[in-house]
Amino acid sequence: MKGSLILLFHSLKRVRALVISMGLLLGVFQVFLIIVARSVQRSGTFEQMSALIPPFMREMLGSSLISLMSFNGIVCLGYFHLAVMGSLISLSIGLATIPTSEIETGFMDLILSRPLARHWVITRSIIVLTICTVALLAMMMTGTWAGLNALAPKDIAWPAPYLILSLAINLGLLMMCWGGIAMAIGSVSRRRSVAGALTGLLALSMFLLDYVAGAWQPAESVAWLSPFRYYNPLELLMDNTLQTSKLLVLAAVAVAGFGLAYIFFSRRDISH
Amino acid sequence: MKSSIAAQSPISIYGITKRYGSLTAVSNLHLEVNEGEILGFLGLNGAGKTTSIRILLDLLRPTGGRALIFGHDCQAEGLQARSLTGYLPGEMGIYSDLTGREVLDFLAGLNRQTVNKQYRQELQERLELPDRDLRRKWREYSTGMKRKLGLIQAFQADPPLLILDEPTEGLDPLMQESFYGILADVQRRGRTVFMSSHVLSEVERVCDRIALLRKGELVLLSTVEDIRKLAARRVRVFFTEDVSLKPVLTPGHEVVEITPRVWSLRVEGLLGPLMNMLAALPVKDLEIEEPRLEDVLIKYYREGPQ
Repeated sequence: MKGSLILLFHSLKRVRALVISMGLLLGVFQVFLIIVARSVQRSGTFEQMSALIPPFMREMLGSSLISLMSFNGIVCLGYFHLAVMGSLISLSIGLATIPTSEIETGFMDLILSRPLARHWVITRSIIVLTICTVALLAMMMTGTWAGLNALAPKDIAWPAPYLILSLAINLGLLMMCWGGIAMAIGSVSRRRSVAGALTGLLALSMFLLDYVAGAWQPAESVAWLSPFRYYNPLELLMDNTLQTSKLLVLAAVAVAGFGLAYIFFSRRDISH
Repeated sequence: MKSSIAAQSPISIYGITKRYGSLTAVSNLHLEVNEGEILGFLGLNGAGKTTSIRILLDLLRPTGGRALIFGHDCQAEGLQARSLTGYLPGEMGIYSDLTGREVLDFLAGLNRQTVNKQYRQELQERLELPDRDLRRKWREYSTGMKRKLGLIQAFQADPPLLILDEPTEGLDPLMQESFYGILADVQRRGRTVFMSSHVLSEVERVCDRIALLRKGELVLLSTVEDIRKLAARRVRVFFTEDVSLKPVLTPGHEVVEITPRVWSLRVEGLLGPLMNMLAALPVKDLEIEEPRLEDVLIKYYREGPQ
């Protein structure tokens, strides 16, 4: 057990700088969005902003456009902005493929030549991924809370804490889902770059599938395959209700990915 | 090659085979390493040495057969097996921003045995890797320093079995001497060493027995002494005057080079018949070289068992 904890702390120590800096950046981004929302609110230019949106986008967004083009909508954008989602999912993939990288560099030889069970390598990575996900989302929510308290106009309703929490939970599960997929792919790969690139391509394809399905009916029939289908922040913005079924789907994919990673990793050869 | 296997031998290998598709890296390897011995594991590149070592550590899964460390199956009871083992890999894959001390502490923490700091300090002193160097980052280490750190991490928990993959690769001659000294000490304390090496002189010097792999198959398993007996001696005969006579040699004796005043011969077995023949000649001096292990081993490398 001592060895397992040492490996866990070692891994957390290695990623802490990256996670803290990323969390700070994302926290600052939340504050920045609040400044933007306040500015637009003060100038009353939400309608003008809506007018800038191309018609096909308006059609895709439908009634959720109104929710998005509001003070709350812009504040919540920090939880589904492409840059935010992209960087968080990339980080998940990076963290989930740490075992592959350790095999590639030969570090795994030193770890597993000690009395340490193979499954602990995967368990360790899941714990690291979970802790990092929670820490990042906590820093983002802290940014939102601090920004709202310091900068938001007092005369308008702020996004409900439940809404922010729901967005964060849903986004967190999306990260875990892609982490699980990356870990499963990484467990059969010899190179981290290959595992990362494959998962990244898959994530991009699934994102595009979900995106295209909004405008193109034929894609709709297979859009359920995309994990992004189970993170619909605009829906959350509109009705403020977190759908448990969607969370369960994301959690199930994550668990399946982790399960496959355990199986593949326990059977594979450790060779670099 | 299969020998009787004692239940608690440090290493017992029962017919392990490892295939990668159509390539057989190790084929039906049977081997037993006795307690307290240093066994040299030899072979050319790609002979299957590292593959066999990695199977012992459960890094690779064999296609067939099984291996035991002190009676513990390397796969089914890998944790118990590895808790009794210290391992030096051929190449150390370490995060470049870790200091030497961090590497040693981290790897010591993964062991079940507690590392005796005094023993680690002693190893540091013998391998000349002072605390000052341990404060430096891995990326600043030279090849030799990396090897020294690798040796310290393998020995620091003083495990009953040491598995070393090319231990002196990158060490300067002085450090090689220190390493041999450490090996002798651990052997005196009853530890067992299983080491792969390319350096035949090193194997000849430190190992009790040799196992030689060729294309994944064990082609020789013997004590160093017995292998030496298989080797031919080199004999040079110097004459006081020119000798035009051609030497008449018995089987096992072979001419290497002949000049009027010097004969160079290879002699297997007894020297008596050669001495009888030389008795009638004007011999000035006789130079007999000790049999060289590498003469035999190179033959095995090239041809396998005949």
